Formats: sequence, C-alpha cells, structure tokens
Amino acid sequence: MKVLILGGNGMLGPWAVKAMKSRHDILLTDINEPRPGYAGDYLKLSADDVDGVVDAAEGMDVIVNLSVLRPHRQLAFDVNTMGNYAMMVAAREHRINRVITSGPHYQMAGQQYEEWDFDLNPDMPPAPGTRLYAHTKALGQEICRVFSERHGIQVITLLYYNMKHSWDLSGMEPGGPEYHQDMTPYSTAWQDCGTAVQAAVEVPAERLATRCETFFVFPDLPHRKFNNEKIKRVLGWSPRYHVEGLWNKEFRTPPSNLHEAF
Amino acid sequence: MNLLITSAVSDTAKLIANGLSGKHNLRLTDLPESATAGILANKLDHEAETDRLVADIEAIVNIGFQGQTGSATHIMDYHTRRMYNLLQAASDAGVRRFINISTLRLFEDHEENLAVTERWRTDPSAEDTELLGAHMAEYVCKEFARDRLIQVVNLRLGWPFDGSESDETATISSELIVAAVEESLVSDELAEWQDIHIQSAVENQRFITSTAAKLLPGLAERLAR
Repeated sequence: MKVLILGGNGMLGPWAVKAMKSRHDILLTDINEPRPGYAGDYLKLSADDVDGVVDAAEGMDVIVNLSVLRPHRQLAFDVNTMGNYAMMVAAREHRINRVITSGPHYQMAGQQYEEWDFDLNPDMPPAPGTRLYAHTKALGQEICRVFSERHGIQVITLLYYNMKHSWDLSGMEPGGPEYHQDMTPYSTAWQDCGTAVQAAVEVPAERLATRCETFFVFPDLPHRKFNNEKIKRVLGWSPRYHVEGLWNKEFRTPPSNLHEAF
Repeated sequence: MNLLITSAVSDTAKLIANGLSGKHNLRLTDLPESATAGILANKLDHEAETDRLVADIEAIVNIGFQGQTGSATHIMDYHTRRMYNLLQAASDAGVRRFINISTLRLFEDHEENLAVTERWRTDPSAEDTELLGAHMAEYVCKEFARDRLIQVVNLRLGWPFDGSESDETATISSELIVAAVEESLVSDELAEWQDIHIQSAVENQRFITSTAAKLLPGLAERLAR
C-alpha cells in the first residue's frame, strides 16, 4: 500500500517506518528536516498545512498521522487538532478509505476516569478534560469521528502513553529508567509501538466493527487499570516486549531462582 | 451584571447586545480584523490580553455559531483554540457563567417527526464548517464544565431568526433569543453543563422546549402554545 505519514520524524515515526518499510511504499513527512541517513521518500510538510497535506495525499491508500506537540498552546492546537482536520480533508478529497491517528490514552480516558475507575477500555465515551495535550488531541479525534460518520472513512486511533526502550526500559523521562514504581497508566516498548501502526494499516476492514475504532496500545500488565484486549483481538497485535522489569520486583534477581514454585 | 459578548460584529451578537443594553454593563469584543468602533479588538490568544478582556466580567455570552466568517481553517481554529483560550482565561478569572450560543441545526438531518431533546447526540456536518465549528465549540465548552472550571449554558437556538413562513417549523423570534439569554444569566436551576433547546412556539413545532420551560421559568409562558 501507499502510506503517507504525517509528523513522521518524531519519537514514534522511525519505529513505525521500521515496522512497515519493507511492506509498503512510504512517503514520510514532517515539519523538520529528515533524520540523517533516511533514504526513503521524504517531504517537508507541516501537518496543519491543509493544502499541503491534500497535495501530499494524492494517490495514497492510507494516511497515518503521528504528529504531536504538547506544551505550546498555539502549536498544540495547530498540530494536534488542525493536523487531524487537514488529514480528514485530504482523505475526503482523494477518497482515501483509511486514516490512522495517534495520541495519549487520556485524550479518551481523562483524569476523572483514571482516578476513579478500572478496566478502562477504548470504547468508552471520551472525557479528556481540559489538560492541553489531552484536550487538543481529543478535538482532533472528534473531527476524525465526524468525518468518518459523514464520509465512511475508516478511522483507527491508537492511544499510547509511556514508550520505553526494550534494552533498559528507559523512556523520555530525565534521569534514566525507573524500576518498580507505579506503572499506571501503561508503558509500551518502542518496537511494539511501531508494529501497532503496522497492524492498523494492514488490518482487514471486515475485522473492524465500525468505521471509527480506537485502541489502547500496551502489553499485558497486572494492574488492570486499563484493558488491552481489543487491540490483541481486533488488530491481531502481539507485543514482543512486556516491560516486566518496570513492575516485577523479582524480575532481575529472583530468589532461589524460583525453584520453590516446584 | 458585567457581561462580555464575543464575535460582536455578528448579527447574532448585535441582536443580543441590543436586547441587553441598558440592563447590563456590556463589553463587546471581536477579532482585530473585524472589530469596529465600540468593540474591543482581541485575538483571543493565550496571552495576557485575553486575561484583561475577561477581568471583572461576571458572565460571557459567546457566539458559538455564525459568529465568524472566513476560511474553513479560520472557523475551525476560532471554535477550538480561541474558545479554549477564552474559557481558560475566564475560568482563571473566576467568571461565573458562560453562555454558549449554539444551534439546533446540529440536528437538522434528523427527520422532523422525531422528538429530539437535549439528551440526543448532535449530528454535525463535516461539510458545513460553520456547523462543524459550532459542534467543536460545544465540545471545548463541555470539557471546561466537566472539569468544574466554569458553568456552561449551551443554548441551541432554532432557525431562522424571526421566520415567517409556515414551513419554518424551528424558527425563533429575536425577542425569545434575548429573553433566553437573560434568563440563562440568572437561573439557579442549571447544571454545570446545561444544554437547552429553544425555539418559538409555532405550528408543527419541530423541537421540544420543555427543558427551557422548566429551567428558565420566565420563558414558560412564551414557550407554551
């Protein structure tokens, strides 16, 4: 398939490209210059440039929007909200049947859900609240939903939170990895974050119950705060890394090598 | 009461401002490219200028539908980012109530025989950017109310204003619009997020207005046929 990726130079983009580059024709776009050594097709493009996104989307089968901007109020709206608007206008103009968007879990399961409830699943009504990142991403998702209802465009939303290096379980937090702390909401290895995008691109339409489906992306975790059953069942996504060292205090130095279990 | 009215150049804002003038202290605002004499030019950015705009304001009447004209990108940006900035500034300043003027056209694709109430999900168009903008403005408002930062009254008005044709089954009079805003400013029956549907009592009336009659009791007589 021909896949247009918006915001592809961020943290997640390279892992999505790695998962898909040998299987699909990718046009990678980003507001920044390409990473050194990137040899694929590349276009410098801001995700909120409606006309530019429409032009870039011509001839594409799928659009994947991985653009993210968190702290700056103007830019957060431009990228997180208007970026999805641009994507949906482009999908409508070119009759592109599938778009994939991404964001944090709390664009759906906002503070009230997270503080009060368990077994949170991606089919709940969104309640993002007013935190800038969650709110702007939720508005973007709502725009996708409206376009999907009106035009039948298949929207798949992938919701992440912490993303970790598989080798030492460090992420974007300063000071290196922290083990054995509260691991809610959830963490996912970068490689598996990328393969979730691949799974969303490739899932047969008949496996999707509606034209607008959302998934929490994380491996099996013991806290049961969130539920990841849907992504495994529907997308067939199977994470290779379980980030167990983050939460299992016996993971690195099991007493008696666990012989007492027998 | 000290009131701020947004998109003051729009016909809806003028109608409301004319009806409220003399009864309240009005502060009118619109974007710099639109603002005329007597209207404060404000971009509704996230800078201190927006904080100053809402200082000492007790309630805001926000034109959330057909308040702005321009490109689709402008309409979408206004009804998302600038609404967020306004609501954030208002909640920081302790503004008590935010009256969002929306539209019953968010249900216009429903057949007329359906008894649509405030508990029905809206069905906005993706093609009509004004309607999509109205929907997005409602979304932003609702999240501020959900977080208990400000009380929002979402007034969905019928259409057209002051219609006179017999097939205009959702019409609303100018007088009723002003009265609904006035009642919304003072009612103590309202939830933190309160949708209210309002149209004139006409033959084959399209939308049910019993919520308005109950929560805005000063309107009950006008809403009864």
